[in-house]
Amino acid sequence: MGTLNAKFGKKLAKYGTFDFSACYNCGNCTAVCSLTDQEESFPRNMVRYSVLGLEDEIKSSLKPWLCYYCGDCSAYCPQEAFPGELMMSLRRWLTSRYDWTRLAGLFYRSVIWNIIAFLLIAAGVITYAFHVNFSLEHVMHVGHLFEIVAIAAVFAIILMPNIVRMWWFTIAKSGEKIPVKAYLISLRELFLHMFTQKRTLDCEKHTFRWLEHLILVIGYLTLLFTTVFLDWFSARNKIVIVFGYIVSGLVFIVTFHFVFNRIIKSKEVSRFSHHSDWFFVIWLFFMGITAFVVRLYIDINIIEDNLWLYLVHLIILVQWAVIIVPFGKWTHFLYRSFAMYFKKVLTSANQ
Amino acid sequence: MKKKIGVYICHCGGNISDYVDVEKVYAEVRNEKGVALAKITMFACADANQKEMEADIPEKDLDGVVVASCSPQLHLTTFRAVVERAGLNKYDYVHANIREQGSWAHSDNKSGATENAIHVVKAAIAKVRNAESLEPIKISSVKAVAVIGAGVSGMRSAIALAKAGCKVYIIERDHFVGGRVAQWENLFSTNETGEEIIKRLYNDTINNDNITLYTGAQVLSQSGNIGSYRLKVQINPGFVRNSVYSYEMDEAISVCPIKIPDLFNFGFTQRKAIYRNHSGQLPIMAVIDDENCTRCGDCEKVCKDIDFSQQKKEINIEVGSVLVASGFDTYTPKNNEFGYCVIDNVITLPQLKRLVAMSDRHLEYKGNRIKNIAYIYCVGSRQLDGENKYCSRYCCTAAIHTATEIRRKYKEINNYHFTRGVRTYGKQEIYYSEALKMGDVFMQSFDNELPEVLQKGNKTFVKIKDILTEQKELKLQADLVVLVTSMVPRDGISVNDLFKLPKGRDGFLKEIHLKLRPVETVIDGITIAGCCQGPMNLTESVNSALSAATKSYSYVSKGELELEPIIAKVDKEACTWCDACFKACPFDAIIKVEEGFKVFARVSDSICKGCGMCLPVCPKDAIELNSYTNREIEEMIDMLASD
Ligand SMILES: Cc1cc2nc3c(=O)[nH]c(=O)nc-3n(C[C@H](O)[C@H](O)[C@H](O)COP(=O)(O)OP(=O)(O)OC[C@H]3O[C@@H](n4cnc5c(N)ncnc54)[C@H](O)[C@@H]3O)c2cc1C
Ligand code: SF4
Ligand code: SF4
Repeated sequence: MGTLNAKFGKKLAKYGTFDFSACYNCGNCTAVCSLTDQEESFPRNMVRYSVLGLEDEIKSSLKPWLCYYCGDCSAYCPQEAFPGELMMSLRRWLTSRYDWTRLAGLFYRSVIWNIIAFLLIAAGVITYAFHVNFSLEHVMHVGHLFEIVAIAAVFAIILMPNIVRMWWFTIAKSGEKIPVKAYLISLRELFLHMFTQKRTLDCEKHTFRWLEHLILVIGYLTLLFTTVFLDWFSARNKIVIVFGYIVSGLVFIVTFHFVFNRIIKSKEVSRFSHHSDWFFVIWLFFMGITAFVVRLYIDINIIEDNLWLYLVHLIILVQWAVIIVPFGKWTHFLYRSFAMYFKKVLTSANQ
Repeated sequence: MKKKIGVYICHCGGNISDYVDVEKVYAEVRNEKGVALAKITMFACADANQKEMEADIPEKDLDGVVVASCSPQLHLTTFRAVVERAGLNKYDYVHANIREQGSWAHSDNKSGATENAIHVVKAAIAKVRNAESLEPIKISSVKAVAVIGAGVSGMRSAIALAKAGCKVYIIERDHFVGGRVAQWENLFSTNETGEEIIKRLYNDTINNDNITLYTGAQVLSQSGNIGSYRLKVQINPGFVRNSVYSYEMDEAISVCPIKIPDLFNFGFTQRKAIYRNHSGQLPIMAVIDDENCTRCGDCEKVCKDIDFSQQKKEINIEVGSVLVASGFDTYTPKNNEFGYCVIDNVITLPQLKRLVAMSDRHLEYKGNRIKNIAYIYCVGSRQLDGENKYCSRYCCTAAIHTATEIRRKYKEINNYHFTRGVRTYGKQEIYYSEALKMGDVFMQSFDNELPEVLQKGNKTFVKIKDILTEQKELKLQADLVVLVTSMVPRDGISVNDLFKLPKGRDGFLKEIHLKLRPVETVIDGITIAGCCQGPMNLTESVNSALSAATKSYSYVSKGELELEPIIAKVDKEACTWCDACFKACPFDAIIKVEEGFKVFARVSDSICKGCGMCLPVCPKDAIELNSYTNREIEEMIDMLASD
């Protein structure tokens, strides 16, 4: 039995939704959705749960992750309830529920807290640089070290426990017995979706967007790989250097296009932007462009005189790694892939 | 006895002639007794044929006409008009239906259809042979209308009638005007308050010289009929001299020792034996409720306007038409219907409206601050098992409108609507849309699985299987449960019985035809307006009020009325006054007349409807019905039964 709670809507509003309560249950949104199917019918069902405030039911549902936000539902909704935007907000809300530190919720709900955290990080980095007398060598060395440590720490301390929590809410809590085999045979799904996001293609008209996303994911991951494991900024190997230029270039070009879309609101998907969306694309863009320019300065030998540039890059990097990756929109990429995986686990267990 | 009859037999394109051998009918009837002219025509109703008939009548000196064609519903008036244009009386025309009751009905049997047509036409000829010319009955009509009830419908129709120049008497049972609307604050769909609307209507009413308003009044008896209804009206005193509210009246109210439940607030509060409903109540005065006053005299001591010497008055008025606008009652849920009377915080929508009107800053009920309100719809309407099958129409919108008003007035209210499908038809849809946007939650159940109201400890829960959420069971802890109750017919309205007004199966007053004659009753001269006819919102009530006013006005405007002359007539010589007809007449049209030693029955021209109930009961066969005389009917039967 569900317990009604009309106040949930107010809570959700902080995660970016509005007007979804205008829904009069016509079901158009579900009818036009290209990703919904008979077993997993959405988005009306999620709109309904949100209107009624059935938090537990939403928390245990994978449906919000099954939506890739083409925005068709919002375009066809006669009540202008923006079901697509609601699904997006539910993903933000779910992220805040999965996150054991509760910081995700805080950052989603308040811009101020984001800014405070960003400023604190900037101050920390500058203090450190001051501490080592603004020695380029020191700062770059620690910067590189930080990348490795941060990736490991964020995964171990925050993301992995959160994924376990997600698993608990969506699979384990219901008490359903799932054979280990189901987990194993479904693993393919996890990586397939993580690296290809191929479901986007099922939303009609979205081939270009999918391609952009794919390039971004691959570009981003390889940039990570080049800077962290190939130590791009200290590399001497020509191939590595050129490769680094290419991937960082790709990242900032694609993200520039995303930012541009959000500004001119050209498509349903970019019509509404929550601050978490802005932070995500803008930081990615800066990461790409500052990495590119830093390497350029290294190559033309003026980095010594322009330490500030590396400092900016480092600040952006730390903010990205400590705030946006563990608590912001970045996690969606992870949760979404796991959602596809869990869905597969559940279906293969039921077969 | 007609001697020169014209008979026209119509092909109706082929509608008739495809099955009925029209030539044969013509051959069979053209030599009937009295027939001077017989013709076959392709379309009898066509202009050309109508002109031909108009020419034939004077040329052949015809004194009676029969057209054998379609149903009289379609063209009786057409051909009556033709004969009238040619100088005959319209009752010199008889219509024979050989299409709906001939060719169409017997399309499988052509020779049978032809036989049938021959008999029907011969019967019509027999009837017209014996037909008598008749003139419409003219009666005089008093240019005044009595309006029963001073609710919105009553006052609005009175104003319309008065403006048209007709005298109007409003007879209101209560001491105050406004009916139900006086009880509501903000109203959909204009967001005026009930008080504002009533004030406007009341001012227009009392400032119009043509209108006389009697409050505290009721009709005791009536006699007469359309054009002249004589009403005896009793006016009950309010025992207060001045019709201006004074400080002393406030005093008088506060010293009065009697306390009774205040029905204006649906029993939420108590009132004194001297009272007024609220400060905006019109007329602005206090009145003493005779039933509960013990004459202790306390009020008299503080207020010089109290006057216990006032007496009941009886007055007689005469009007040409009566417009009934006696309104509705609100449904009182049965004991434990959704917890009513059993669970503390279950109230009805009308009660909620009064509660809101009386609560300023916080919405509180029995000392508890209200946050979560559950509205249960269709209580007393659309009942699967109960008597009220109908939808009360006003309630979805009223509940939603009230809920959004509450949200605006008080902070932190959550509205939960347990509906059976929202019916905010027409422009009212806007309120539904607005409520949704404000975050009101709507659920829906089927009529065989209604929501349940339960009490656990001191908490009240409402449960529903919501069909909008895959029949999921949902539960709400509600601070207040509001039953959205229906409109029901007013109990014990004396006027209904006095005028013998028929009621529909739903118990509301019944119109003649819902679409075509929506405000007339079968009692000539009596119209109905507003919620006495069935559930309506204000817009609809006023629509019907204005339409009833127009109809009533049409009865009295000329000072004279023409009635259909098809009525019963008593042969005074044959009648012995056995009173059989008197008992049989459903309209009380039979009058006992004494002339010297002779006692006999007479039929009142203006009351008789020509139903014929009196004819067969008369042992002396002394009664005849115009246009359906024994001779006409007998000869028709002879014809129909002949070989
Ligand atoms: C809870 C509730 C909320 C509503 N809200 C709205 C709203 O927001 N907007 C809207 O458009 N409509 C609303 N309505 C509907 C509205 O109240 C009716 O349409 C309106 O009252 C009908 O007016 P009436 O004059 O026909 O009947 P009534 O208001 O019932 O008036 C009838 C009058 O006749 C008098 N009377 C009765 N019998 C006799 C008799 N025998 N002799 C003399 N007098 C008699 C009565 O005393 C009364 O004064 C609401 C109804 C309810 C129940
Ligand atoms: S299309 Fe809009 S109104 Fe219709 S069900 Fe979906 S969200 Fe609700
Ligand atoms: S108007 Fe609405 S609440 Fe009233 S009876 Fe009809 S459906 Fe039920």
